[in-house]
Amino acid sequence: MSETIITIKDLRKHFPVKNIWGTDIALVKALDGVNLKIESGKTFGIVGESGCGKTTLMRTLLRLVESTSGSVVLSNELTQDNYSSNNLEDLSNNELRSFRRQIGVVFQDPMGALNPRMLIKDIVSEPLVIHGKTDNVRERVIELLENVGLGEEHLYRYPHEFSGGQRQRIVIARALALDPKILVLDEPTSALDVSVQAQILNLLNDLQEKYNLTYIFISHDLSVIEYMCDRLAVMYLGKVVEEANTEELFSNPQHPYTKALLSATPNFGKDKEKIMILGDVPSPITYLDESKAKLATEITEQERLEIEAIEEKDIPRFKRTDYIFRSSLNEALPLKKVANEHYARVK
Amino acid sequence: MLEIEDLKTNFNTYDGVVKALDGVNLSVKDGEFFGLVGETGSGKSVTCYSALKLLPKTAEIVGGKISLNGEDITHASEDRLRGIRGGEIGIIFQDPLSALNPVMTVNEQIGEILVLHQDDEINKLAEEKEISVYKSEKWKGSPGVEFTIMAFCISFISLFVMLGQFTFGLPFLFVIGMMFLRDYLQKDIPESALDLMVVEALSRVKLPNPKQIASSYPHELSGGMQQRVMIAMALAGKAKMLIADEPTTALDVTIQAQILQLIKDIQKEENMSVLLITHDLGVVAETCEKVAVMYKGKIVEEASVDEIFTNPQHDYTKALLNAIPKGGKERLKVPDIGEPGAI
Repeated sequence: MSETIITIKDLRKHFPVKNIWGTDIALVKALDGVNLKIESGKTFGIVGESGCGKTTLMRTLLRLVESTSGSVVLSNELTQDNYSSNNLEDLSNNELRSFRRQIGVVFQDPMGALNPRMLIKDIVSEPLVIHGKTDNVRERVIELLENVGLGEEHLYRYPHEFSGGQRQRIVIARALALDPKILVLDEPTSALDVSVQAQILNLLNDLQEKYNLTYIFISHDLSVIEYMCDRLAVMYLGKVVEEANTEELFSNPQHPYTKALLSATPNFGKDKEKIMILGDVPSPITYLDESKAKLATEITEQERLEIEAIEEKDIPRFKRTDYIFRSSLNEALPLKKVANEHYARVK
Repeated sequence: MLEIEDLKTNFNTYDGVVKALDGVNLSVKDGEFFGLVGETGSGKSVTCYSALKLLPKTAEIVGGKISLNGEDITHASEDRLRGIRGGEIGIIFQDPLSALNPVMTVNEQIGEILVLHQDDEINKLAEEKEISVYKSEKWKGSPGVEFTIMAFCISFISLFVMLGQFTFGLPFLFVIGMMFLRDYLQKDIPESALDLMVVEALSRVKLPNPKQIASSYPHELSGGMQQRVMIAMALAGKAKMLIADEPTTALDVTIQAQILQLIKDIQKEENMSVLLITHDLGVVAETCEKVAVMYKGKIVEEASVDEIFTNPQHDYTKALLNAIPKGGKERLKVPDIGEPGAI
């Protein structure tokens, strides 16, 4: 059992929705009571569809947005007993700066993350310059580039001269420049081909071994998640609906949404059971007016249309297909009860 | 249905000629679900853009033959091609938000295709139901006249306000109010034949409240809905063949499953041919009957789906299948294939 590096306790981030007069009419509950423990030296995966709060979670972890309530507790490994408090919310500006030094971020689109007008040497050395580590910059940059499989010959080139995989390597090199303890990887391979993706995943595994890094891996590709992660949290509408070790979660998913997510990933096994979610992703807006709030759990028109279309014909490709109404996954009513009521089975 | 023989497409660049396609042979039969797989730069998109002549000016088709239903369209005129694009072959693009026009409503965008390819049908429907053809009665008065009346009223009101006699301006205020109220007072404005057909096209792709969606702009819809609108547009011209260029790459997995199911259903109902271009082997396994694997501008392997996953022949196909993480923690085998898009 390894140590916990970050503990997230009941973290909430609500964005207010204002009407034309400036009064709050609704809340977007981007994070709604998230409890997580991230272990040191392991890879923690976060899965979920767009709009479920993955990115907001990442931004609150770096305190790029202030949380509404709840706390992020840092371990002594991160604070080194120098900080005034272990709570991320209570850190002073200087402490926050030194804390952010310990977290590197790799974004989804490498071309968007690299300034097209800067040379590679400037891009990789920028964090060093900002944080005042200016001795032997050139040697340090070359070392970083060699770490990710590039070399000295790439120093004086621009980002557009590289392929997608190489660009992602540069972004990783930059993220590692300040010797971080944690690396946040926000969909690092979704813009890449499978063969290049394999290279990057291997590289990430090597780096983790070499520097004993902790990864927070955000992705929607479940095959990548299964390969990379030790522990996994599934998010849906700002909540963690399921958290378990990867093997456990993949072999025995508990929540209906996790089940649907696992079976929705296309794979080669043809005769597996299929669970499909009907309907569109609901809006995360919660109206303060209660009469509007209740509508969220009613079966929507989209779901009705889809179930009608399914009832007309059978789908022979799979042994059996189960259908879940998206509205039954919403939070307003106790979840299990609703899920069972609307659990339709066709053929 | 669509047959491509020994197609060669070159791109002329400052650094020399890029042979994007180097002798591609492909044939999609009637009612077949055909998958085209390959990595970035392997030429899968260029293949279908060549077939429809949607290439940029720097590209040039230097050899080969493209035929549609036996008709040679390699050197077809621009007029004929306009009939084919959307009329005989419908296309769905990868990113629905950038493929849809942000300043046009869904109604206008689908209407455009219907007017181009289904004009006779619209006229017939209008005659049958005795309604107007393109424009609903709501817009009978020309917008120019309405604008002029409103401008006059406003200038008179401001004149009286300046003179300190606001009461004289009240009748003009009433006129403006009535103009705005007219749309709401006139409840059952007969719709045009075009509107009816747009709503029908939208309900074919299982969109709820098609009337409301028809009057909305693309950014007001979710990603899945936008892709459904794209599919509705591709089908609006009663195309017999559908080219889907990475239709689900921009979508979440659960929505991806819905959209693939929809394409499959429509393909079966209409007995259409579908050419699905994708880099995701999993998507191919779930939907297609036949697959072709592309690599460096060539088709390296073509087989039925079951065969290609159980018994891949070509080294590249094997490498591609090996590179996908499949459970387990053993190190991934990186295919030694060099840069896919090398000149």
